Amino acid sequence: MKKVFILFTLIVLLSVTTTMLFANGQKESGSEKSSVTFWLADYEGIDHDYVKEIEAAFEAENPQYDLELLVVDWNALNDKLTTSLAAGTPPDASIIGTRWILEYMDLDAIVPPKDYVSKATFDNIAPGAMEAVIDGTLWGIPFAAGSRFLAYNASLTDKVPATMEELEQDAITATKGGNYGLIMPGAKHSELSDFAYYFYSAGGDFFDANGKSSVNSPAGVKALEFMVKLANEDKVVQDGFMSQNRKQSQPIFMGGKAAYVMIGAWADTEYNKMNADWEIKYAQIPPFAGSKPAPLIITDSIALFKDGDNLEGIGKFIDFLYQDKWKAPLDKQMGFPPVTITAAQRPEFQTPMYAAMAEANLEAKGWPLVTNWPEISSIVWDANQKAFLGQLSSKEALDEAAAAIDELMGN
Amino acid sequence: MDLSNNNKRRITNSFIILLTVALLILMLFPFFVMLVSMLKSSKEIYHIPPYWLPKKPTLINFSLVWNTIPLANYFKGSLIIAFGTVVLNTMISVPAGYAVARLHFPGKKFILFAFLITQMFSPVVVVISLFKIVIKVHLIDTYLSVIIANAVFTTPFVIWMLNGYFSGIPKGIEDAARIDGCNRVGALLRVILPIAAPGLVTTIIYTFIYGWNDFIFSLTFLQTGEKYPLTMGLYQFVGRFAVQWEQLLAGAFLAILPVLILFFLVEKQLVSGLAGGAVKE
Amino acid sequence: MGDTLLNPRFRKLKGEVGLAYALLAPAVLLMVIFMVYPILYVFIISLFKTNKLAKIQSFDGFRVYGELLSSKDTWVVIGRSLLWTFLGVAVKTLFGIIVASTLNVKYTGRKISRLLFIIPWASSIPISVMLWQWVLHNEFGLLNHTLKTIGFSNPPVWLGEAHTAFASCMWVDIWLGIPFMALVFLAAMQAVPQTLYEAAEIDGATRVQKFRYVTLPGIAAILMVATLLSSLWTFNDFNTVYILTKGGPAGATNILITYVYLNSFQWLKWQKAATLSIFTFIILSTVSIFYARLFFKREEI
Repeated sequence: MKKVFILFTLIVLLSVTTTMLFANGQKESGSEKSSVTFWLADYEGIDHDYVKEIEAAFEAENPQYDLELLVVDWNALNDKLTTSLAAGTPPDASIIGTRWILEYMDLDAIVPPKDYVSKATFDNIAPGAMEAVIDGTLWGIPFAAGSRFLAYNASLTDKVPATMEELEQDAITATKGGNYGLIMPGAKHSELSDFAYYFYSAGGDFFDANGKSSVNSPAGVKALEFMVKLANEDKVVQDGFMSQNRKQSQPIFMGGKAAYVMIGAWADTEYNKMNADWEIKYAQIPPFAGSKPAPLIITDSIALFKDGDNLEGIGKFIDFLYQDKWKAPLDKQMGFPPVTITAAQRPEFQTPMYAAMAEANLEAKGWPLVTNWPEISSIVWDANQKAFLGQLSSKEALDEAAAAIDELMGN
Repeated sequence: MDLSNNNKRRITNSFIILLTVALLILMLFPFFVMLVSMLKSSKEIYHIPPYWLPKKPTLINFSLVWNTIPLANYFKGSLIIAFGTVVLNTMISVPAGYAVARLHFPGKKFILFAFLITQMFSPVVVVISLFKIVIKVHLIDTYLSVIIANAVFTTPFVIWMLNGYFSGIPKGIEDAARIDGCNRVGALLRVILPIAAPGLVTTIIYTFIYGWNDFIFSLTFLQTGEKYPLTMGLYQFVGRFAVQWEQLLAGAFLAILPVLILFFLVEKQLVSGLAGGAVKE
Repeated sequence: MGDTLLNPRFRKLKGEVGLAYALLAPAVLLMVIFMVYPILYVFIISLFKTNKLAKIQSFDGFRVYGELLSSKDTWVVIGRSLLWTFLGVAVKTLFGIIVASTLNVKYTGRKISRLLFIIPWASSIPISVMLWQWVLHNEFGLLNHTLKTIGFSNPPVWLGEAHTAFASCMWVDIWLGIPFMALVFLAAMQAVPQTLYEAAEIDGATRVQKFRYVTLPGIAAILMVATLLSSLWTFNDFNTVYILTKGGPAGATNILITYVYLNSFQWLKWQKAATLSIFTFIILSTVSIFYARLFFKREEI
């Protein structure tokens, strides 16, 4: 019994000392180096060793700065930023979803980057990517921009639908071979993307000119009725779609079991991972007959925080990062087409998928830039699910949603 | 008579074993899935209908995990946080647990209840205020901040649990030790703790696992990538658009191993050793 | 005579009180520094209008309390949370006792099975929940594949319909809690003196009687503590629902804590989130006081 006690005490002592050692082990940066902090979202495919390389190269070139380039999981980035902003200690800059800009402006938490980032850097950014312009001022530097498109399995279908109605027929045809016609996630996830694909393709807009919710406009009802029909009547959608979000449903397409899917820049990476024995091809998300094409585009930006303590330094770093030498490999890893003009011309970005995205960019439409978007998207998701489950008709569900959104926005 | 007793025992024992196996299947089915999935290639894992066992078992996911994330570094972070939580927690909870279980003092019920209140608020709602305190006391970006937060959230449980275990010990045993010349602390260390050892082991394992699996405090308080624990590392396989299932599960498998090893060691050393010693007396 | 008896006892008590406070001091100190302010802050912001970073703007009184209490949704979610907690804790406790009892019997291989039962607990909760999401997947998951293999041609889409989604979330939460319960009960069972069992055996008690009259009273204190704490944790288990269904389909699995998270970090409505936390606090306090009554009554006997 004594032996056991000695062992126990030893373990305790050992762990106390290690704890002490490591707990306060952070070195004081004694020199005059000023620290710069940047939070990079963990996009799929980012090579963490490469991020370290960027960090080291920047510090070697600018010895006056101590750069902390922190990679944060995308799903947790929002929470971490909120906490640090609430405590007044945000990083100098961070990647954000462009739609968050509105919330941050509302809170007076960000500054326009033009005073800190050089004109040469801005001049090299494609004008089409500049989504975060509000009242003539750019509030976020475009970091990644990608339109959504249609991918299809060339060994299950060879039809490229020109309208949604054709897509429906092509999906029905493809279903006859024992596969699924179309992948459609029906479980809630953080993006409202699927409803938006159909809604925008029907010419819809989330808000009308007076700022009132128009999610229940004829376009909205048409889109949702169409989705419900695909799932419940045509039955071209994968089994159990209500239980699958985007991450769980798209692998069914990648596994070669579905003809069509509406997807984004990660398609190539996921397809290549599969070593598939079928060919993936790309086309545009079609409009409804009589409407104009309007694929969804999602952009991410870099925001500079007012409470950051080294905005000069972060400006220098952004200039450094946006050189083709560093940014283009990062774009390639993430799978997104470059937002910079010179990098976009590089040969590695001339693939069929990037061509489809470039074409989509011409007509693309982003999320509405409004506050409270996360809650709005949750409301619309619930309406979609109620319609899918048959609890309400599409019209009723969207009317309810529109009323809830108007109440939320104080209309 | 003896024979029938033996038979009876054999029958009940086989019943127990059958029941155990059934329960184990129920509890471990997901881990069976984890084991087979982490040995599949990306192509196999998305095959419909799924394969029971990998067609061509591969260890490539482990090398992918190794290449994608600094695994050794994350292990270090997790170990420091988990051990730190155990140590800090044990140091403050054992005395407190003893006090509420064996001593009479005014305000006991209030204190026990007050500890409980902290468990009624999920970390989700208090994390912002905690973050502000951590900045005030200059502990931001230290392991210590994460350790303290985890210890604070585990202390109420440990105190209540030890209260339960300690008060189950007959008063006579402690009195006997004190008559033999032990003071209270001596009696606590030499008599009470050994008898409550199985309970203490449970609380230690609980705090270790709590610290080992911490996510929210590490995410909030740590600001440099080198300090990240394993849980944060694993999240890199849960992307924004796709989950790298085979790699996530390989990584999760590696993360479970140390806990099992620890449990195995602690179990052997403490439960049998201490409890056995106490029974012999 | 009363005096002479009382005096030493009183002195002893006084020393005891000092010792008790000294032993409690470190734990209490840490709690005061790190928990009192955050919890008070929750109370405060429930009474004030806040901006999106939880900064106080202006006094608002109990307006949001009234607003939430008069909304049918709140009551539905509270009712569901109570059902969730009650069923969850009951089933966890039942399974915990069964598992602990099987582990408390001596047979070869008991150590291995004890180790195996720990595995679900050793894995981090979000990862375990994700693992279940993978298991429950209607195409890739091995659960439905198994069901199909053994003859259920049309197994349910677990997370796709209201009732099965709620049941699935419940089961995952229960599954997460069983190992803990089992281990805690096992430790308590091992502390029951062997002599009591021997005495019962001499009296000719059956296995069931031994369990009823020796084991159960022996673990009663721990049983109460464990079920109490488990109620608090089950009520506040945010990961299971949030990862599996995000409260869907169509809100069928929303419980109070997921609602709190949505209102805080997702929708930045801190006042509402704080008020819902206070509701949680009131509900859980009521449960705890009820428990504490039982607990202390037991102790005083």
